[in-house]
Amino acid sequence: MRVTRRTFLKGTGATGAALAASRLLRGPETLRAAEVAQPIVEDFVPTACWIGKQDCGILARRINGRVVSLYGNPSNPRNLGTLCPKGVAQIAALYDPHRVKAPLIRTNEKGVPGTWRQASWDEALELAGSKIRETLAKDPSLVVWQKGRSKSKYVYDEALVEALGCTKIGHGAFCSDAGYRALEYTLGPKGVLNPDLRYSKLILAWGWNAVAAGGNQLCWITWPRQLIEAKENGAKLVTIDPRIRGTAHFSDRWLPIRPGTDLALALALCHVLVKEGTIDRKYLRTYTNAPYLVGPDGHLVRRGEDFLVVDERTGTIVPAGTAGAVPALEGSSELDGATVRPAFQVFVEHIEGSTPAWAAEITGIAEDDIWQLGREIGETASIGSTIVVDGVELPYRPVGVMAYHAMQQELGFQAARAMTLMLMLIGAMGAVGGTLATTKWEIDDNYWALDAIEIGDGPYDPLLKSSRFFPINSGNPAVAATAILDPETYQVGKFPEVMIVHMANPVVSFPNTEVLKEAYRKLRFVVVISPWLSETADLFADVVLPAATMEKYEGPASASDTYLDAVMVRTPPMPPLYQSRGETDIYLQLTERIGVYEAFIEHLNEQLGLAGPHALDPKRRYSEREVFDHWAKQQGLEEGIGYFEQHGVWVKDPLPPTVRYGYATDPPFGGVIHRFYGDSLLRYQEQMREKGAPEVFWRDYTPLPTWRTLTMDTSPPEYDLYLISYKLIEHKQDRTAFIPLLSELSGGQRVDINPVTAAAKGISQGQMVWVESHNAVTGETRRVRAPANLTHAVRPDVVAMPHHFGLTSNPNSRDLGPSPNALFFTGPGYVGMTADASFHVKVRIEPEGG
Amino acid sequence: MRDVARYGMVIDLDRCTGCRGCMESCKIENNTPQGSYWMYVFRFEEGEFPGTKVRFLPRPCQHCDNAPCVKVCPVGARYKREDGLVATDWERCIGCRYCEVACPYGVNTFNWGHPEEHYYGDWNAEDVAPEVRGTVPAWDNPSLDLPYGPEQRHIAGGGHLKGVVDKCTFCVQRVEHDLDPACVQNCPVRALVFGDLDDPESEVSKILQRRPSFRLLEEAGTEPRVHYVGGAPPSAETKQIEPAKAEV
Repeated sequence: MRVTRRTFLKGTGATGAALAASRLLRGPETLRAAEVAQPIVEDFVPTACWIGKQDCGILARRINGRVVSLYGNPSNPRNLGTLCPKGVAQIAALYDPHRVKAPLIRTNEKGVPGTWRQASWDEALELAGSKIRETLAKDPSLVVWQKGRSKSKYVYDEALVEALGCTKIGHGAFCSDAGYRALEYTLGPKGVLNPDLRYSKLILAWGWNAVAAGGNQLCWITWPRQLIEAKENGAKLVTIDPRIRGTAHFSDRWLPIRPGTDLALALALCHVLVKEGTIDRKYLRTYTNAPYLVGPDGHLVRRGEDFLVVDERTGTIVPAGTAGAVPALEGSSELDGATVRPAFQVFVEHIEGSTPAWAAEITGIAEDDIWQLGREIGETASIGSTIVVDGVELPYRPVGVMAYHAMQQELGFQAARAMTLMLMLIGAMGAVGGTLATTKWEIDDNYWALDAIEIGDGPYDPLLKSSRFFPINSGNPAVAATAILDPETYQVGKFPEVMIVHMANPVVSFPNTEVLKEAYRKLRFVVVISPWLSETADLFADVVLPAATMEKYEGPASASDTYLDAVMVRTPPMPPLYQSRGETDIYLQLTERIGVYEAFIEHLNEQLGLAGPHALDPKRRYSEREVFDHWAKQQGLEEGIGYFEQHGVWVKDPLPPTVRYGYATDPPFGGVIHRFYGDSLLRYQEQMREKGAPEVFWRDYTPLPTWRTLTMDTSPPEYDLYLISYKLIEHKQDRTAFIPLLSELSGGQRVDINPVTAAAKGISQGQMVWVESHNAVTGETRRVRAPANLTHAVRPDVVAMPHHFGLTSNPNSRDLGPSPNALFFTGPGYVGMTADASFHVKVRIEPEGG
Repeated sequence: MRDVARYGMVIDLDRCTGCRGCMESCKIENNTPQGSYWMYVFRFEEGEFPGTKVRFLPRPCQHCDNAPCVKVCPVGARYKREDGLVATDWERCIGCRYCEVACPYGVNTFNWGHPEEHYYGDWNAEDVAPEVRGTVPAWDNPSLDLPYGPEQRHIAGGGHLKGVVDKCTFCVQRVEHDLDPACVQNCPVRALVFGDLDDPESEVSKILQRRPSFRLLEEAGTEPRVHYVGGAPPSAETKQIEPAKAEV
């Protein structure tokens, strides 16, 4: 071997130098490079990020088949060859020594950390399958499939659930579903507000942390990249948020709004638009029910099947939709002895008092700033202007709003409606540069369903769907938990028995976590499908089935950046580690044990559009790879799944404006009338009252968004601070805190507090503090402790904590501190009218030790 | 006419979102141990509520033309290559840490422990080792063990040995294969650009022709190869928030 300075030193016997050297040396293995004998085969194989929301394309670099690093896939339009820190660090998740290595069967009682025995897949599948089968035979709705994130919608959420006939619950009530419901109800598309960033000139980051958070439809990386391009093209960014932090760098202005008051601000902005006269009358007349006449009872009047309008040409009342009529937006008329007014007139009167001065009191934003923003919105909207996009001339209203998770607040549904009405006043919804809700402007079934809810008398299912408590209902597991624990109050007639938990960790992620835990105790059998022993599994699983992380086939899912069409399938860069399996494989095997395999295959065919030679045969057994191979061939890809194994993503054509913009679809806006006025909301309120629902449930079912005092603001004054939560770019929900690369980068839990407030309370940087929350309805309090982090990026009356901690099962995350989900409440006052969770609560802070 | 490139980096502070994806991709690419960051992104806060300003500053090794660290290395382990990269021969380094003292940018990290013990997990555990084929860490990059440059010295990657210093190498193992450093390739908003400052057509040259730029601590006379456009250097009012300080 080469004699180097080191080996020379080691061998000399010269005391000082030899000691130094021997302390430092590891031995000849440091020269392993010189001794590498075997040839190194390097290749790059596509896969997709498993951590985040938007499935960023990844190229895994392999050395002799071992994945050594993950790079962004340049072909994927969402991330264009780059990755956020989570995507890069995911390699540590792939190889995590704490992954569940084999199916586990519980040997101790539930409610405490589990003791387990490792079982064969055969035994574990048989056990889970038999329990599921038993309960399905009794009543399929007593089997619940709970997802956190699903990365194969057609396979899991649709085909599997339909084959089982079970109840399905998602995580949306903790995500942004209040916004979804508002947009579905008002306009039809299934999404929340997002700007058409390529063309927007005034962008409102409304509760959106542009550099660390998600957003509608997409997420980090795509939105920030598009935002930066918009800014480089001259767009202005105004941030409306109690906490600014990263977005500050890109914001032209910060309006530090008091938590939970977004509805008030939106109404005030509407007030400014009306006062300034910057109203898109043509849009309102043509595409909305704003001209429809409202009677003295607050309902839209009808003649037979028709709604009515006043035709400005003649001054007479005619059916809505009468050809050639110019429906009036203002004024009043007489009809059958009663005064009727266009809904828009009702709205104008409704917001007469919603002045910027009024909103300033409520929101804490200066009156002048609200006037200024309202005027800027009105001017920038350029009402009446058009622009040509890909040869199509379309209305140009370049005011875009990104509002997403901020909708999970007490008044979320109505706040989202108020923001949408503001955008409708300037005709910006579905316009170029304006605000969209989905990549393709398509009308979801909920547009009709949410307008035609039949409220039952009970007994109700645990989610309280179609109940007098939550007619419009996003399906909230914490509400279900609350209802199961108090079946008399909520008139619950059914109690779930079996839970299949898919990529979710409810006892950490769904507030209030104590309520979730109590409800989970009542389940007969719980199967958790996860790569890790989540806290939910640790405390309540009977069986844990180890899922693979990225080493599996999943999809198909969109890879569109909202301008370019693309589809991706996750393909494994190496075989599943340990004894883990992809969820599709798991379900193919589990449905067999349950006895619904053939139904699963038939539903897969339906959901994946498999027909003719590519249809799956219910009599045959398939691997997950084969299922996706059939799908890929059905799309016309000769190589089948091999296409994705080679490329990762199938990039298609730019999306034409005729699918992106509501104005451009045929017919425009999918042919549905926009519900400026929510008549059915009033109807639901009346029915809820009639059926004896307490006021807390019906009070926000109003046809127009209406401000009221928030429940949390009735907590005693010593709870002087608002707690809000936020995301770190280094983490994703509960599934990254145990990745040591990321927790070392982010540090653990902290309580962001304004330095002026901290000084007044005698709190210094890094000092441990107790954060205690208060439930203004029940009087309950909860508390956690974490170190204070002084920052001027929050309002003095606000403290903020990131979500991602509170994990105790994985040794890598035990000492990172608590989750704010232990502080937020569920139940009346802490869920909205649509059963969506509120991530707001009043707290008080005191230094540990008093 | 020079054959050898004159490498440099341009960092656009108007674009940086402070995501620290560069810090992470550097770490994986270069196998640096726990708590060690070669690329570092400062998150800064200035001003007071409601006039709070937040901004970000990525700070790799500056690969100075007049590098203090090269001057003070007693054994010539730290040296400046013809292409501008300031490299550390980890076989030659004796761990005296004079470079760490001399560098005004704080880019050097000392390997306090045996790397095997500081790579994030017990890769030698009985049920783990077979799955990761006995490598430490599981994502160990063998490119880092090879010698580089016409000088054929061992200058790539971090954490090879206890008791030596390492720092950003501008990913020499990538640059010699005509790839960008990992941080540059990975940046989701293309805030980092790398290339030949002597080539007027390179992206780095074009940006510097077009936009005013500054370098950190110009007054120290170190002549960094890293140029910043947009933004501004930190001032007395700038406070660091959210330091990435790992406990090892």
